[in-house]
Amino acid sequence: MTTQYLTWLLAIPALSALVVLLLPRSWETATKRFAIGAMLVEFIVSTRLILADYSEAGYRFVEHVTWVESFGISYKVGVDGISLWLVILTTLLSPIALYASWGSIKTRIKEYAFSFLLLELGMLGAFVALDLFLFYVFWELMLVPMYLIIGVWGGKDRVYAAVKFFLYTMVGSLLMLVAILYVVASYEKLAGHYTFDLQELSTLFLPAVPQYLLFSAFALAFAIKVPMFPFHTWLPDAHVQAPTGGSVILAAVLLKLGIYGFIRFAMPLFPVASQTLGPVLAGLGVVGIIYGAYAAWVQRDLKKLVAYSSVSHMGFILLGLFAMNRHGVSGAILQMINHGISTGALFLLVGVIYDRRHSRMLDDFGGLAKVMPWYTLFFLIITLSSIGLPGTNGFVGEFMILAGSFFSRTSIGFGSSWFVMTLLATTGVIFAAVYMLHAVLRIFWGKVVHPENESLPDLNRREVVSLLPLIVLVFWIGLYPKFFLDKMNPAVDSFISDFTIRYYEGRRTVEPHLTDLDELKLRLKGVRSLAMTESTGEDVQR
Amino acid sequence: MHLEAPQQILLLLIILFPLGGAIINGLLGRYMAKGLVTLVGVGSVAVSFALAVASFVELYGLHHGVEEAALAYHFYEWFSLKLPGGTVVPVNVQFVMDSLSGVMTLVVTGVGGLIHLYSIGYMGEDEGYPRFMSFLNLFMASMLILVLGSSVPVMFVGWEGVGLCSYLLIGFWYENRDYAGAGRKAFVVNRIGDFGVLIGMFILVGVAGSFEFADINSAAVSGQFRPDFPLWIFGVAPSLATVACVFLFLGCTGKSAQIPLFVWLPDAMAGPTPVSALIHAATMVTAGVYLCCRLSPLFITSDVAMSIIAVTGTLTALLAASIAVVQREMKKILAYSTVSQLGFMFAAVGVGFFAAGFFHVFTHAFFKACLFLGAGSVMHAVHAHGDADIFKLGGLKKQLPITRWTFLASCLAIAGFPLTSGFFSKDEILLGAAAQIYRRDDLLMNSVGWFTLIGLTLAAVMTAFYMFRLYFLTFTGEYRSADQSGDHPYDAHPHESPPSMTIPLVVLGIGALGVGFLGLPHVVPVIGTHLSDYSWWGNWMEGSVAGHAVPEEMHIVNLASGLALAAMAIGISAAWVLYRNKSTDALTDRMPARLYQLAFDKWRVDELYAATIVNPIKKVATVAGRADMTFVDALMTKWPSFKVRETGRILARMQNGVVQMYGAVMVVGVVAVLAWFWTPHSHIEVGFEGTKVELTTPQGLGYEYRWDANSDGEFETQWAETPTTTFEYAQDDIRGVAVFISHVRSGVERRIQVTEEWTPVPIESVAPIATLAATERGFEVRIDGQDFVFRRPDPPTLLAGKEELRLPMSKGGRLGPARVFARPLVEATVEVRNTFGNTRRTTKEIVLPFPIAEAPSHASLMPPTREVVR
Repeated sequence: MTTQYLTWLLAIPALSALVVLLLPRSWETATKRFAIGAMLVEFIVSTRLILADYSEAGYRFVEHVTWVESFGISYKVGVDGISLWLVILTTLLSPIALYASWGSIKTRIKEYAFSFLLLELGMLGAFVALDLFLFYVFWELMLVPMYLIIGVWGGKDRVYAAVKFFLYTMVGSLLMLVAILYVVASYEKLAGHYTFDLQELSTLFLPAVPQYLLFSAFALAFAIKVPMFPFHTWLPDAHVQAPTGGSVILAAVLLKLGIYGFIRFAMPLFPVASQTLGPVLAGLGVVGIIYGAYAAWVQRDLKKLVAYSSVSHMGFILLGLFAMNRHGVSGAILQMINHGISTGALFLLVGVIYDRRHSRMLDDFGGLAKVMPWYTLFFLIITLSSIGLPGTNGFVGEFMILAGSFFSRTSIGFGSSWFVMTLLATTGVIFAAVYMLHAVLRIFWGKVVHPENESLPDLNRREVVSLLPLIVLVFWIGLYPKFFLDKMNPAVDSFISDFTIRYYEGRRTVEPHLTDLDELKLRLKGVRSLAMTESTGEDVQR
Repeated sequence: MHLEAPQQILLLLIILFPLGGAIINGLLGRYMAKGLVTLVGVGSVAVSFALAVASFVELYGLHHGVEEAALAYHFYEWFSLKLPGGTVVPVNVQFVMDSLSGVMTLVVTGVGGLIHLYSIGYMGEDEGYPRFMSFLNLFMASMLILVLGSSVPVMFVGWEGVGLCSYLLIGFWYENRDYAGAGRKAFVVNRIGDFGVLIGMFILVGVAGSFEFADINSAAVSGQFRPDFPLWIFGVAPSLATVACVFLFLGCTGKSAQIPLFVWLPDAMAGPTPVSALIHAATMVTAGVYLCCRLSPLFITSDVAMSIIAVTGTLTALLAASIAVVQREMKKILAYSTVSQLGFMFAAVGVGFFAAGFFHVFTHAFFKACLFLGAGSVMHAVHAHGDADIFKLGGLKKQLPITRWTFLASCLAIAGFPLTSGFFSKDEILLGAAAQIYRRDDLLMNSVGWFTLIGLTLAAVMTAFYMFRLYFLTFTGEYRSADQSGDHPYDAHPHESPPSMTIPLVVLGIGALGVGFLGLPHVVPVIGTHLSDYSWWGNWMEGSVAGHAVPEEMHIVNLASGLALAAMAIGISAAWVLYRNKSTDALTDRMPARLYQLAFDKWRVDELYAATIVNPIKKVATVAGRADMTFVDALMTKWPSFKVRETGRILARMQNGVVQMYGAVMVVGVVAVLAWFWTPHSHIEVGFEGTKVELTTPQGLGYEYRWDANSDGEFETQWAETPTTTFEYAQDDIRGVAVFISHVRSGVERRIQVTEEWTPVPIESVAPIATLAATERGFEVRIDGQDFVFRRPDPPTLLAGKEELRLPMSKGGRLGPARVFARPLVEATVEVRNTFGNTRRTTKEIVLPFPIAEAPSHASLMPPTREVVR
């Protein structure tokens, strides 16, 4: 078992899902306890991943087993400093979301637990897969349980939302599948054998035009998932209709897969295209920041407000990612975790009042601070985290992203378009305060105007237990982010340097060819030492 | 120089005590006895004050031995940035107490402690008392982080932290939604300022390569901020320092309530009075001035930024004072007075008298806190909630003697009565403005000096006037609520407040009178001290704050003091005449009604912002919110799905069950299939193997093929069923030349076929710097205006290799260097015959990736070597 943690990590939810299927329908409590228990065991197993040494870049816990030899498909998994935290985020939030769900989910307990376990399997698999085929399988696997969760346990228009979610995501991922096949076929032409292995495929250099097309296909799939403006319209519908647990997972983990896809697949495989189109995507991110904030401000449904705030937050992450420097990318990854925590918690909190009042309309509340003081405190803390108050997790991420964007591509930090983008993105900080405090004002302050709100019970034990870990993380990341950053920085550094090397090689590519990264590094070293001797020679001449 | 060892853990404890108090009272206060809440809330601040004094004493001891003495405590590394070029810039959680932050720490913990004490009496009966204490403690912790933080981000933690506490405390009585709304307004307006701080911070770290104040200041001193900002703004290039300072100052206008962001502070009076005294008068709102002083070596390098600050400060001082003159409520008058006094401080900063500006922060903390607490004491006495209308008060000197005397002392101080604290500090600010007039004779700085001097003098007149208007109407004459007539009269029998409230009043009142002597020597020339000597204050601040030297010329000093005294005298005597023992508003009754209304409505700045900024944004947001579910969703989801459905419907229409229709479709289908099979179809695919070319055409049922690989009209192969042939081209087979222009930047190849005619290819705004000679490279090329022109030599001369030519482009060119090279062009033809005997000929042009070799050594596929064309 020493090296097979990741297989165990995938096996636990898979086997538990099977067991849940076999349990009799009437054993509701047992099913609930079993599913939560399995997810907690999963979380404990996953914490073992943190203990590994991440001071050097590269994958840990790698397992490589050939699956379909003739097509070069293999079961290859591993984690590095980037996927590590996303895995932990998934294993942490899955039990929390499931546990919180028991407040509202009263029917088809068995199927719900099964869907959740399957969903966890899909998400974890997508985060640890290092084989494109495997990744695609997990990527699509996630869709089904989420579709069911929205479509079966959702709100009034659940079927519309579920179908929209499914089709939207499907359109993107089909194009991505085509692109994957093209890449594999091009590789086969040069190397003589098929492979879906990410590391082997990233030795392939394609000319500009196919790169742009392929990157666009990947980017579409990921941008829809993120969701990036203007591909975000499925998100408010899905969130509003999904049950609390579904919303939590959707916001906290599923959206992250879009960004993760960019980092792990789209950018390394197509460096030239992502370098050129990166600023465009970052620009759309900035549009998303402002547009999402504006749209959030005028929502009257609290859940919709939070959904649009996600669009805004994910815009920040896109901006940081395509800034392509260490704090930008690290900040983006950290902000993924932060967004998972704060938005996940916000959806949990929305669920709390929805369970009590069966309404999420801001107009139906007011003055709750008097009735539910603990709930108010929790909501305020998460609000502050969401608007990035220093001391909470949101600040560190946003700060690094904005600094990353500010210093992007230039030595002093004033690349004109990036400077403008930074200015615009920073106004997002203002608008975040506007829409979140607007919601707080409408829900908590003022007098209790609706008599049915006068005797709402404060948070119960289940709700406190599910929120408390997130509150702890808000301050942990806010005050000591080094614990997280130290593990991700080496991976990010090598991601950026590899990307840069590939970009320069890719720029000179006219015909497809295969070149190993190590060879490129050697070549680059030669150039660098040449440059050094040239400069010293100049000095001597003077 | 920072004293690193031993680690001054006291600095950390100064912050941790109030923070701990906030956490304990916040989480458990509800379940604790009131006495315990008081003990935790007030005790933690008292301990913090004691620790601050201890640290300050240690610092004071060092100060005489070491230049720029400071105590430091490095807690841990928060996170780090990696700048371009690989420098890793850590953000350290580190606290430093130097002469500037030392004084500020004493003020915050000292005045803060007194206000905590006052709150026991003032807020003790409120059901939210534990919450209040918790927020107040949290504010203390944040403010101390702001003051003691050694780097910009750590300061920013406090900066936003105090903003949060301000939000929570303004909206403390949250059941009143207007109050909560005022809190939100404060937070959002402050966030606009924080936007400026963030951007300013990035510029600072980009230039100085460090977040530490000390490093930024030394970078400023060494001139690193002098270069132009790389982006032009409106055709002029300001210096880096100017841009950084303007962004930072935007933050200061938010936190310290200056034009254009001052609108939140008057509304902030919705909070309980101790909050107004502590946060919105004595400490938090002066954070902007503190930041400017902290970075004074940077600010002083930019004349433009300094002028902006001086003018903004002066304008704010005037605007706020003009509003305060006509207001009717105690706290509102004091609020505008605070805005106005903050304007004085910024004006001082803007003319380069940072120490003077900060001295005013110091003295203002005493008298303004005392005034607010005095107002609170009055409101407590008459049971006024929220605010007190001075026209319903009057004659309170009898019932509230302690409050009255301390209030009077503070009024004298703020008006600048000789030898009170405000006299010294205000005098020095005017001196700074006057000094600038004499020091600088360039148009900008000189006129800014005049503007500041005159504007501040006017503001000082108004200050003295409105403060004594407030004093006389409140404390002299008859108590106007005694007979319980009029709208909502106050309690008929006011009483003096309990000792927990009067003790802070007395301490602060004594401070308001006395602390000015710290700045004594050079502002009172009559005593005869040598003018070039700094005062105690000047000496103390010299180590950590930059600034212009105090002028030695007596006439400047006399001018400034003369103006200050005259302003004070005019203001007080006007108020004496108009309001002493009076009960009517003698001044405003005589003002034109419209002017009065406008001033009373605060010049309608809020309405202006609402009309020009807030509402348009709100409208845009509403449109965005609506359009998202209609327009964007329609475009991205509904329209595509509609199209798909439409297509589906057309297809479904065909499945209508009418057999004739099916028959017709079938006939059409069969005919189409037959037609397709009637003639053969082919296209040619090319593969390369060494110098051989493999030609393939897709196989069809019953097809036969014959090849004319070089399209010379003679078929090389006979009819055969294999669809493939291999051929090796020779010189004679060449049909033409394909020229590739490859822009290295864009990596896009452009292929043209070169004939015997000159063929132009536009260069797209790129001008080569070298003239190109016709070469024997399979083509001739020259430059004709904006075009390359190519020609194939006639007869084709040489095609012996993949030749390449580098065209160095001009530096300003958009495309950079380009490569031009030629490759041989041949044609292959295949004829296909099917079972019906029909034939079809397909010809394909092939660009050979390799040369037709007589000398195969040229055929290397290695990347091309560099070739410089001069």
